[in-house]
Amino acid sequence: MENELFMNAGASSHPPVITSPSSSSAMLNWVSMETQSVDPSLGCNLFWEKSTEQSIFHSALSSLVSSPTPSNSNFSGGVVGGENVMIRELIGKRGNIVDIYGTPASNGNVSGSCYATPMSSPTPGRMMVMKTTTPITEISGDPGFAERAARFSCFGSRSFNGRTNSPFPMNNEQPVATNEKMPRISSSPALKPLVSRVPTGESSGEFSRKRKAKSKQNSPSTVSPSKEIEEKEDSDPKRCKKSEENGDKTKSIDPYKDYIHVRARRGQATDSHSLAERVRREKISERMKLLQDLVPGCNKVTGKALMLDEIINYVQSLQRQVEFLSMKLSSVNTRLDFNMDAILSKDIFPSSNNLMHHQQVLQLDSSAETLLGDHHNNNLQLNPDISSNNIINPLETSETRSFISHLPTFAHFTDSISQYSTFSEDDLTSIIHMGFAQNRLHELNHGSSKQVPSHMKAEL
Amino acid sequence: MASADKLINTDVPEKDVFAFHFLQSLSNLRKQNPFDTPDQKNYRVRKIKKAAYVSMARAAGGSSRLWSRALLRRADKDDNKIVRFSRRKRKVTWKISSKRRRSNQRAPVVEEAAERLRNLVPGGGGMETSKLMEETAHYIKCLSMQVKVMQCLVDGLSPK
Repeated sequence: MENELFMNAGASSHPPVITSPSSSSAMLNWVSMETQSVDPSLGCNLFWEKSTEQSIFHSALSSLVSSPTPSNSNFSGGVVGGENVMIRELIGKRGNIVDIYGTPASNGNVSGSCYATPMSSPTPGRMMVMKTTTPITEISGDPGFAERAARFSCFGSRSFNGRTNSPFPMNNEQPVATNEKMPRISSSPALKPLVSRVPTGESSGEFSRKRKAKSKQNSPSTVSPSKEIEEKEDSDPKRCKKSEENGDKTKSIDPYKDYIHVRARRGQATDSHSLAERVRREKISERMKLLQDLVPGCNKVTGKALMLDEIINYVQSLQRQVEFLSMKLSSVNTRLDFNMDAILSKDIFPSSNNLMHHQQVLQLDSSAETLLGDHHNNNLQLNPDISSNNIINPLETSETRSFISHLPTFAHFTDSISQYSTFSEDDLTSIIHMGFAQNRLHELNHGSSKQVPSHMKAEL
Repeated sequence: MASADKLINTDVPEKDVFAFHFLQSLSNLRKQNPFDTPDQKNYRVRKIKKAAYVSMARAAGGSSRLWSRALLRRADKDDNKIVRFSRRKRKVTWKISSKRRRSNQRAPVVEEAAERLRNLVPGGGGMETSKLMEETAHYIKCLSMQVKVMQCLVDGLSPK
């Protein structure tokens, strides 16, 4: 039967299976459904209700055929990606389907019919059952098309058995009979867009299944339909998850946003589970590389487990560092309190404009220096950029005296503590720049400050 | 610190932002407890640590990251304030738990390490592994930034 069909594709004769009247209406149905903003991701459905020009379908299919290049390469590879391109093209052309006319009608049904018969699927099937002989015949003009069609696993056949929501049960009989024998003709990309509204959400899962089934072209042709059905019923968890998460909105969601289009690699397992697993593994390994760059000393470590151990250790050490530093801060806190007030209040003293003027920096430095103790003395001398000789002078006096002498000035500003919230970021950043500069000075004096954390680590 | 990977964005703000937030939180602390006695040192340490984490979460982008959101929520809860988005959180965790149930087949080696990581990273319990690693990368960057800021502060304020 299938051979017949395929031969007919080239012969452009009416395939025996075709029952024209309902099928044509079905085919034209999808057009109307399409224009009704159907969600193509929900799968091909049979539309048998309305009847429109058969040529609509023809035109769409022929447009598909006419643009074989993107699909061809994909077809041979049996990859899902090309399908998407095709489908997108078709979807894009949805609105202009009527304009695409002009294709000769009533020929080449066969190629379509070979899809049609298996595709006489009930609504959940994404298969467009194109039972019309006439509309599809024209497509058979492309000899390669039938071959391509033959290559793709028939979308209708397997999943249809379990689903019998089709309003046209009679269509199922023949396809069921033929589908079992049919090789895996994947859902033709031509037909993929021919989807109508799917009442059930599971159709979205089917769609993904169909895409993956396409890649099975090389697998043996005789597959028990029940097995296929089960496979397809265990839809791609990722995609189904996405579609299910969207819940009630499955009908209106753009499929290309939601789905992650997976390309099955040659020679690799191609069922939905393994594909999803592969994508997930790739994601994880990609992120592991990212983390590897972050965590120091991870270049030598190979293997996910060791890497993850290393990462965990690093995160733990960072958290311990934070704890240790907070302890240190609390011990300095009495001093810090006053210093904080004074420093922050002192910040208000200069204009709230950018404090990067040398003078202002000097002011800040002087205030900070006097407050923060005499250990800056040496540092200041080392770093002339930040401090000038003027600043050193107050530091040369006894620390406490200078400290005390500055107290009243800063006490005046402690009233402005409430204005902390008005601090511009510049004010505080200047402090931090100071702090960082001092840190650099510390580095100069004590070597790299990065050694300190390691020391802390050792202590802990 | 621009991330090399364009798809996964793990940029963190500059040191200044972290420093600003941390100083602000410290000054708030100081306002609340002007006279801390050394007896309450542990209390103070805990407060400062918490202030550090909260300020880090705020500096790193408030609600734009899962871990920062979880951190802030946890902080709010500790203060006995009303947790606003608890319902949303419950929803998310339910979804994720169903995901996890299905994902029992995942590589066990990776998964057990991911479990340990989840305990470390705030908000990790509600994430899938790939998302968890993204969050971990960002969290590590923010943590190291925070550590630098605190180190600078300690160095700048500690007596010689």
